[in-house]
Amino acid sequence: MNNPNEPGGARSSYLSFMLADEQYAVGLLQVREIIEYRPVTRVPGMPAAVQGVINLRGSVVPVVDLAVKFGLPPRPITRWSCFVIVEATFDGQQTVLGLLADTVREVLELGPGDIEPPPAFGTRVRLEFLRGMGRQEDAFILLLDLDRLLSLDELLRLTSAADEVTAPMPAPASAQSSGAALPEAQGNG
Amino acid sequence: MTGLGGMTSETAGEWEKVLVIFAAEAERLVSSMEEGLIALEVSPADDLLPGILRGAHTLKGAAGSLGFQAVTDYTHGVEDLLQALLDQRLTVNEERVSLLLAAVDHLRDLSQASLAGVDSLGAVHKAHLALLKSTASAHPSVKAAPAAPAPLSLPRLPEARGATRGRSRMDLERLDRIVTLTAELSVARGRMTQFLTRAEGSGASWEDALAQQREMDPLFEELQEEVMKVRMVPVGPLFRQHLRTVRDLARSQQKLALLELEGEDATLDTAVLDALRDPLLHLLRNALDHGIESPDERRAAGKDPRGHLRLKAYHDAGSVVVELADDGRGIQRERVRERARERGLVAAPERLRDDELLRLIFEPGFTTAATVTELSGRGVGMDVVRRDIEALRGSVSVQSQEGKGTTLTLRLPLTLAVIQGFAMGVGDQVYVVPIQGVQECMEVPADERSSSASGVLSLRGQPLPYLRLRQVFGLGGELPARENVVVLKHPDGVIGLAVDELQGEGQRVIRPLGKLFQGVPGISGSTILGDGRVGLLLDTPTLVRRAILRAGEPGEPADASSSPQDLLPPSDAPRALSRPSPLSE
Repeated sequence: MNNPNEPGGARSSYLSFMLADEQYAVGLLQVREIIEYRPVTRVPGMPAAVQGVINLRGSVVPVVDLAVKFGLPPRPITRWSCFVIVEATFDGQQTVLGLLADTVREVLELGPGDIEPPPAFGTRVRLEFLRGMGRQEDAFILLLDLDRLLSLDELLRLTSAADEVTAPMPAPASAQSSGAALPEAQGNG
Repeated sequence: MTGLGGMTSETAGEWEKVLVIFAAEAERLVSSMEEGLIALEVSPADDLLPGILRGAHTLKGAAGSLGFQAVTDYTHGVEDLLQALLDQRLTVNEERVSLLLAAVDHLRDLSQASLAGVDSLGAVHKAHLALLKSTASAHPSVKAAPAAPAPLSLPRLPEARGATRGRSRMDLERLDRIVTLTAELSVARGRMTQFLTRAEGSGASWEDALAQQREMDPLFEELQEEVMKVRMVPVGPLFRQHLRTVRDLARSQQKLALLELEGEDATLDTAVLDALRDPLLHLLRNALDHGIESPDERRAAGKDPRGHLRLKAYHDAGSVVVELADDGRGIQRERVRERARERGLVAAPERLRDDELLRLIFEPGFTTAATVTELSGRGVGMDVVRRDIEALRGSVSVQSQEGKGTTLTLRLPLTLAVIQGFAMGVGDQVYVVPIQGVQECMEVPADERSSSASGVLSLRGQPLPYLRLRQVFGLGGELPARENVVVLKHPDGVIGLAVDELQGEGQRVIRPLGKLFQGVPGISGSTILGDGRVGLLLDTPTLVRRAILRAGEPGEPADASSSPQDLLPPSDAPRALSRPSPLSE
């Protein structure tokens, strides 16, 4: 399951983005669009990784903060924060979902030769959520398996992948403890 | 319909159309025969038989013209018995009506089977047909007159057809209106676009822009209204299904009961109607199980041995009211009190007001399956009915007079898609409740300002329990300079929601919140706000119920509610409310 599951020899495109200074990527085919950050309506009673919902041209779309899911430290919303809108399948139903990203990097072309199986330990992300490690020059990019990561069960799981019992409200903390870059810059409605 | 025989067209398309017509016609005829028979049983003296017989005859003709032999043969048997009754060779009695009703069921099956391409009588059908025939000829005192078909050869079909065509004409007119409105709107939109592109150069003012906009507005509103109306259907068909249910259920308990209908033309949204189906059946069953007495009991009480149920629908102030009244024994207060004590629902049931006492029947755990039959009140799964209705943003109430009967009143929204909503802000979040529920608003007095999840205010000398949404939803953030309470009508009295600001009312289009958020308690949907953000629609009854549950938790202080985890779907034991209402005292 940890093998790169690219069909033999073909190169595929990935979209890479940053989460708490680490680089991740998802298959480009699953990406619908990238939109700038907009205020999130929080849905009470959901696990912290599920931040709430946003309005995407009249559709109400859930947004997920994978950083919370991976147990990464909270970070401020900056002017580069954005949502990567992807498609996931819930109970056989196509669903559109937004992933909060600190910034979007680039589109990568990776062939089978550029993808290593992930090491048995040491990665932030649980192995079952990884398709592999993309190699780009000297850096490694974690290739996420969205189908596994964005299942209903996984999203509704209370605690995140890495942590024990998180503090009740990491999400607002991340939004407010914005010491760093221009928290107001994102105030586009 | 008889004319269809000639046009058995070669083209499959034509044939399809003919089948569709037959399907609708057969269902209509069978249903009207069914209703006729139920009415006949109650009042055999009424001149109902000719109508029923005409229905059978028309069905036979229609089936015959399409070559559906099974339906034709079977209907012939039904006609024989009906004719015997009409000729008064046999008298109408319960047994014969039951026989005919069973036959009606068979006709329904057979018609459907014919449409599916199966044109033969099964063993059950054959046996029943034989029974019909033997019953019909049981009294050969008068030789079966070679059925006088003279009056029957003129079935009332044209009229009936006119009615169906009339309806589709109405739909067509509506469709035309929608098309016209769409066209007008697109013209107006074109003008608006033109106006906006030129606006800067031409020095047009805001006034002009507003004027343009005002032109579009009424068109849009009318379009919306028309589109909504397309979804509206009358309650009649749903109501009429239960004529039979009531009769059969009553008989199965050796009781007599008749369902009367009123307001069958009242319309509501298809989705609401569908959601009403189960609760309504539940209420009818309940009325028959616990409300209506046995014929002997009724006679002893000086009542008509036949119980009467009245199902009524009417529009009232933007909602539909569905009322089920029975003339049964009513809810016996003493039993309710006993039960409440037994189950520990309330500490002192004798201190409750009458309406509060009656409302106990809607509490979960009021009855258990084991005691259902001994309990002569109501309450079997009434909590489920209440939950279902509240999930529709509706409400249930009950009135009852001991010995006289019980009336249950369901109030439902006309549609689930749009509400008149009242918006309120907490921090940067916005929540919406249906305006019908809002009674008034008030500012929270300075000495009540706190960060606890709930509290009690005084509303004109009456206690007003309230929930502070900021804490209930774990939003965090600082307390605002001013705080307001929205006072909501609640079945058990009034409750308040403490929020930062009041944002006023407006029409809201409701969108469901996808799979991921199913089972989030206290939130029943979402709506896009004027500024493009998403507001959440509150399910106040659930919020209140959860608050009561928490308040009843032993040793859990009130502030346990400040963590959002508390709002997660309850894995808590399905324990009964230990106090039904801090709301009532």
